Amino acid sequence: MVLGKFVEVGRVVKINYGPQEGKLATIVEILNDKRVLIDGPTTGVQRQVIPIRRLTLTKFNLKGATRGARTGVITKAIKKSDPFAQYAQTVAAKKVAKKALRAKLNDFDRFRVMILRKRRSALLSTQLKSLKKNTGGKAQAQAKGGNKKK
Amino acid sequence: MPAKKRTVRIGNWYKSDDEKVHFVRKRKAPRPAKLRKIVPGQVLILLAGRFQGKRVVFLKQLKSGLLLVTGPFKINGVPLKRVNSAYVIPTSTKVDVNGVNAGQVDDDYFKRTQAQRRKNEQGFWAKRGELTPEQQTAEKTRLEGKRKTQKSIDDALIAAVKKTALLKQYLGARFSIGKTTRPHELVF
Repeated sequence: MVLGKFVEVGRVVKINYGPQEGKLATIVEILNDKRVLIDGPTTGVQRQVIPIRRLTLTKFNLKGATRGARTGVITKAIKKSDPFAQYAQTVAAKKVAKKALRAKLNDFDRFRVMILRKRRSALLSTQLKSLKKNTGGKAQAQAKGGNKKK
Repeated sequence: MPAKKRTVRIGNWYKSDDEKVHFVRKRKAPRPAKLRKIVPGQVLILLAGRFQGKRVVFLKQLKSGLLLVTGPFKINGVPLKRVNSAYVIPTSTKVDVNGVNAGQVDDDYFKRTQAQRRKNEQGFWAKRGELTPEQQTAEKTRLEGKRKTQKSIDDALIAAVKKTALLKQYLGARFSIGKTTRPHELVF
């Protein structure tokens, strides 16, 4: 197994324990084998010392972060190339966002989601049936009615 | 000597002179019931009774403290109805009720009439339950009036409901909890 993600200055990390759980930050300085100094001026993480045990390393790096850089320098580096936006494109980040969105749905939203899912599945099954028919599968003449609801 | 016909029902408790009354209600008139943050036009979920799970539109709070709601009737079968706010979940969905006039509906609208109370009399009192022709026509006009009020309120409401997509179907559906739903985590 090749070691890909290193604990290094500039590594983008996700905090997975504590009051800042779920937020991203950058490693600014490595103190010892167990603690690092992190900073996340654009993500709402105050500059702080945190045990590595509370972090998950991501595969992104902040370019231009130097050892012990002050918050202002970090902010400037983020403005130039934003690794946090890149992280938001990953599948893992999208899953988290989806979960948060689902938790916020109100009763009417949940109803709409249910109806739309049913419509989508009806459309899919029509497509599937027509595909089966074309490839000489079962000769089903009736395609399932699409959406009859308004 | 013939037994005297009893006209007053005999009880089995006679108050003594020195009986202490422990709770004297000082306030004679009932206090108007406080309303949670429920706004006219808000969709509520009924939690009890024949229409439990139905989503209805809140119109106004009556003087008795009960909430006046309507289905609308054409959409989900719930007529103009009084509902206790404790047995209701307010959702954050709102319908525009600017064109709806529920002013003439109050607690008296729901009061039972003499004819209604006597309707199901059986046995000895059966004769009392039969309506005279005047009473029958009175009932008819009363029900006609109720249908008219229901219609006038509902028509304005349904026009507003139709403006939002799927809102009509939403009001027609019942709310229910499945195996995996966590009510304490649901946002309404």
